[in-house]
Amino acid sequence: MMQSEKLQRKIDSYLAELRKCLGELPPEEVHDILQEIRGHILERAEASGELTEERLVAILKALGRPEEIAPLYQVDSIVAKARASFSPRVVLRAIHRWSHISAWGFALFVIGVIGYALAFSLALSGLGKIVAPQEVGAWLSPGGFNIGTTSNPAARDVLGWWLVPVGLVGGAITAVATTQLLRWTLRFARFRRPTGGTAAC
Amino acid sequence: MAFGPDPERPDNWERQLKKGWLELAILASLWDEELYGLDILRRLEKDTDLVLAEGTVYPILSRLKADGLVSTKWVEGEAGHPRKYYSLTPAGRRRTVAMARYASGFLGSIRKLIAPVLAKEDK
Repeated sequence: MMQSEKLQRKIDSYLAELRKCLGELPPEEVHDILQEIRGHILERAEASGELTEERLVAILKALGRPEEIAPLYQVDSIVAKARASFSPRVVLRAIHRWSHISAWGFALFVIGVIGYALAFSLALSGLGKIVAPQEVGAWLSPGGFNIGTTSNPAARDVLGWWLVPVGLVGGAITAVATTQLLRWTLRFARFRRPTGGTAAC
Repeated sequence: MAFGPDPERPDNWERQLKKGWLELAILASLWDEELYGLDILRRLEKDTDLVLAEGTVYPILSRLKADGLVSTKWVEGEAGHPRKYYSLTPAGRRRTVAMARYASGFLGSIRKLIAPVLAKEDK
């Protein structure tokens, strides 16, 4: 009895470790994964006749360490979701996850952040022009060109009211183009998965 | 940020190669019937040495599901705990056929290419 309690605790602690490493996944998915892995352990244990600690250790070892298995799920699940999503948040989160394991992912994450920031500021300028037409504009000055507000009195607003459609449409196009680019690159992400052991959990 | 493991280490190329074959082997094992995870594993262990860590098969199944190639259902059975059964979707069957055709042609040409290497080894 004491022995079987000890073995049960060992299984529980393996699953708890796995749960911790699966942290960012949706709860129902985590529940499914744990149930499946638990079934695997129990069934392997039953098949081995009388379960000894040695035997259980071998079963868990054959399964792999939780910190090795969990990241495979995370990339899989988040990337799969992002490939079917138009939400910048979902797509960027997948790229961010990818950036942990690959230099390509990191470069694309930077591109993604810049793309969305550009889209956001374009849209904001378009809206700002409506709210504060005097302050917001597309300013051309001897010092250069900027969209937004300016402190340079010599600056000239080159777009005028055109900034509203240019900002809003340009912002939307930039956001969609960024999303499409990131989604397209994500199809290559699976080939750059870690072979294990790189996740911190 | 990591730049990945050293590709020249033999266990790495072996791992990469096995991973691709593993996906086909899993899909093929579901061709005739629906199976649960451990069923699939046992089948792969019996016929191949593709599986490195058993736990890696489950994330692959999870991705195949996310890609719409397999569907799943939980079955409460005589086991005392529920089992998650996997079966091929129509898209999964099409993919399996395409992969099997490709693999078969690929293996044929590889066999021809490596024949001299192996012949030399034998001498």
